[in-house]
Amino acid sequence: MITNSNDSSDELNVTKGSHGLLVSKKKSFFASREAGLLLVILMAGVLLTFFAPSFLQKKNFISVSIGLAYDLIIALGMTLILIVGGIDLSVGSVLALTGVITTLLLNAHVSIPLAIILGLGSSALAGLITGLGVTRFNIPPFIASLGMMSIARGTATVLTSGYFVTNLPDSYKMIGRGVFLGIPYPIYATVFLVILFAYILKNWGPLAKTFYIGTNAKAAELSGINAKLITLSSYIICSLMAGIAALFQTARLGMGYAQMGQGTELRAIAAALIGGASLAGGGEGSVVGTFLGVVLLAVILNGFILLNVSIYWQGVVNGLILVIVVAVDAIQRAKISKE
Amino acid sequence: MGKTVLEVKGISKSFYRNKVLDDVSLSISEGQIMGLVGENGAGKSTLMKIIGGIYQPDAGEIYLEGKKVTFSDPLQAMKSGIGIVHQELSLVPNLTIAQNIFSHRERANKLGFIQWGELYKDAKAIFAQMNINIDPSLLVEHLSIGMQQLVEIAKALSLNAKLLILDEPTSALSEKEVDLLNGVLIDLVKKGIAIIFISHKLFEVFRISEVVTVLRDGKLIGSVEPAHGAQYMKLNSVKIEEVINMMVGRHITDLYPPKSSGIGKEIFAVEGLTREPYFKNINFKLRQGEILGFAGLVGSGRTETARAIFGADPLDAGKIYLQGQELSFKSPQEAIKYGICYLTEDRKSLGLFSKMSVRNNIVAAALQKFLSKFFIFKHKEIKKKSKFYVENLQITPFDDEVSVFNLSGGNQQKVLFAKWICSNPKVLIVDEPTRGIDVGAKAEIHSQLRKMAENGVGMIVISSELLEVLGLSDRVAVFSEGRLMALLDGKTATEEEAMKYSTRHVAV
Repeated sequence: MITNSNDSSDELNVTKGSHGLLVSKKKSFFASREAGLLLVILMAGVLLTFFAPSFLQKKNFISVSIGLAYDLIIALGMTLILIVGGIDLSVGSVLALTGVITTLLLNAHVSIPLAIILGLGSSALAGLITGLGVTRFNIPPFIASLGMMSIARGTATVLTSGYFVTNLPDSYKMIGRGVFLGIPYPIYATVFLVILFAYILKNWGPLAKTFYIGTNAKAAELSGINAKLITLSSYIICSLMAGIAALFQTARLGMGYAQMGQGTELRAIAAALIGGASLAGGGEGSVVGTFLGVVLLAVILNGFILLNVSIYWQGVVNGLILVIVVAVDAIQRAKISKE
Repeated sequence: MGKTVLEVKGISKSFYRNKVLDDVSLSISEGQIMGLVGENGAGKSTLMKIIGGIYQPDAGEIYLEGKKVTFSDPLQAMKSGIGIVHQELSLVPNLTIAQNIFSHRERANKLGFIQWGELYKDAKAIFAQMNINIDPSLLVEHLSIGMQQLVEIAKALSLNAKLLILDEPTSALSEKEVDLLNGVLIDLVKKGIAIIFISHKLFEVFRISEVVTVLRDGKLIGSVEPAHGAQYMKLNSVKIEEVINMMVGRHITDLYPPKSSGIGKEIFAVEGLTREPYFKNINFKLRQGEILGFAGLVGSGRTETARAIFGADPLDAGKIYLQGQELSFKSPQEAIKYGICYLTEDRKSLGLFSKMSVRNNIVAAALQKFLSKFFIFKHKEIKKKSKFYVENLQITPFDDEVSVFNLSGGNQQKVLFAKWICSNPKVLIVDEPTRGIDVGAKAEIHSQLRKMAENGVGMIVISSELLEVLGLSDRVAVFSEGRLMALLDGKTATEEEAMKYSTRHVAV
């Protein structure tokens, strides 16, 4: 039949990709996608330092980190959704909704813990609804989350009548503005969540199964995996992430408003895709990759700011990066499948 | 014998360091049907793809009707008169038959608008060549697989194919459709068209071919001429064995392991299983150490029954007993928990996680077993178990981190067995376990099935190859039109008997 295993495994090397959920082949780190991204980020950083030395200042790093923290928290949830084979366009709107609800409750002198619980509860509820739409009613995830995107954003607008909600208690604002060892709380939370997600996706049964579901939902069900429950949970978690991001953002800004988080969903999806997730079905994605994706986009945005380039170009550049990364990925996949 | 239509000389082809074809030469004449057989990986598809212009050979020449040709792309080969019907059909389901046949070449007027009347007439003319009457305005998605295959052939004919290559044409066809196809091929051959067809079904190949050519490990081993006429069944049995030996390079005297010597007590039983309109009132018992075969034609309700037992489909009525206890499953998850497992018919889309590693696939149905408290995966145990099965079942290549789509059909099937064995089943239903798998691997799988039965797993084997069911099973349940027609003894049942029951009409 085919030649002995030594020969075959050389050609088969190219197919070991980012599906390393339960196991990841200890192939050379240097050949991995993550390494490539890291390289690009370092190059960008070096280039940027050359043109704008203030890039390397601690102040700048903190500001960049805060900026990317919210996107990263949401991108983690988005990565999970992409792995399970879905998509969630509503995260930005859910962020706004949670922010609005929490701040309004705080304004109504509800206790901080209760306001937080109710706020997060509303984000989980949004995820539940979207998730039920997908799993129970078989609405395509794109449509279901698009609907929720409008509903959540609309609800937030109605609740605030378009006004900014301010007057938040100082102790609440400390959640976002507090500093420990010179680093703001939100960054600790983000780091914690990144590590948590990375660990969970590889090791925690219920969520590690998402890779199976994303790869082949029917086969997953026939293998005894409760695909519907796990998918539903993923949508809830994703929206919950948006809720968590909303908490930190409203606390730091000291206000909530209905236009929060616009464009977040695209940045989160872009970051996850850059990091190795795939829109063509699921079963692929990596927390480290997503993290690097968010960092890359944040570094570029920072570059714009430091170099005084109009922010409006950010959208163009983000879009270009996304298209280029996905195109290169698609070409590589096509090459692999031809062999 | 007419003049030579195609001759290939000294064809060699390698992919990276893998030599897939090694100095292969053969020729086929007008009006000849050649069967091309060989194990998976023997090089049959590659050779055909080279002839069809999809690949370029590293060495060797192709002569079409005496003239040397090189095809830089499939279109050239098509235009020169070589038509290939691939195993995976490439028709567009929501277009009409006529559109599929003449795609990009539709009859159009000067402004480019399709002339539908002419288009349908042209399509009908092609089918007339095959002695088939069909409405060319039908959408392809409404056709059975067998008919779709004929549309593919019509497409090749419309390009004035001198040589028709068919890759596994009958793997998804019912008996009736196979007969129809054979009739069409014989008609075409009478018109002088040469046909090469690749198939694993040796009996079929022998029935219809003028010559059977064998490839093994990229080399042409030899050719055999099937016997036709009165004594053909008997004579061909001998020749088929010869061919199998050529394909495998060793003697396979027993394709089927010996049947059970000791059958234990009852472990599984079903009563009155019904799901309209798929099956009605199915009753049987299964005992430890026993292999129960489900025989019957395609569509007789076997797979549907299996799926319902497994909880993948709902039951209208009926009871299931596992070790005396009455159970009902609302989902495969529940069934697996109780130890009822089902290896799907369609392994690629319903059984395997193609992109994932062998290891991930092997543990896929037993994930719960590898979770410590707090649901953390015990990676070391997973690795150990996975390597154990790869070793035990001889899954090549011996690397469990390789993606399964790289594996041959036989090895993929072994991965699926490992998956289900890993979940420690009490009852295992396997549906078409050797479909699309070559002879050598088939025998291995048969012995695996018997071994599992001997280890106390209640085995139900569903197969459309009658000989396989009869050769493997201790008892045979024959299905027809959704009813269980008979339970035959595996040791004494004959093909004729089984066929009789599987074609018996159900009186409503």
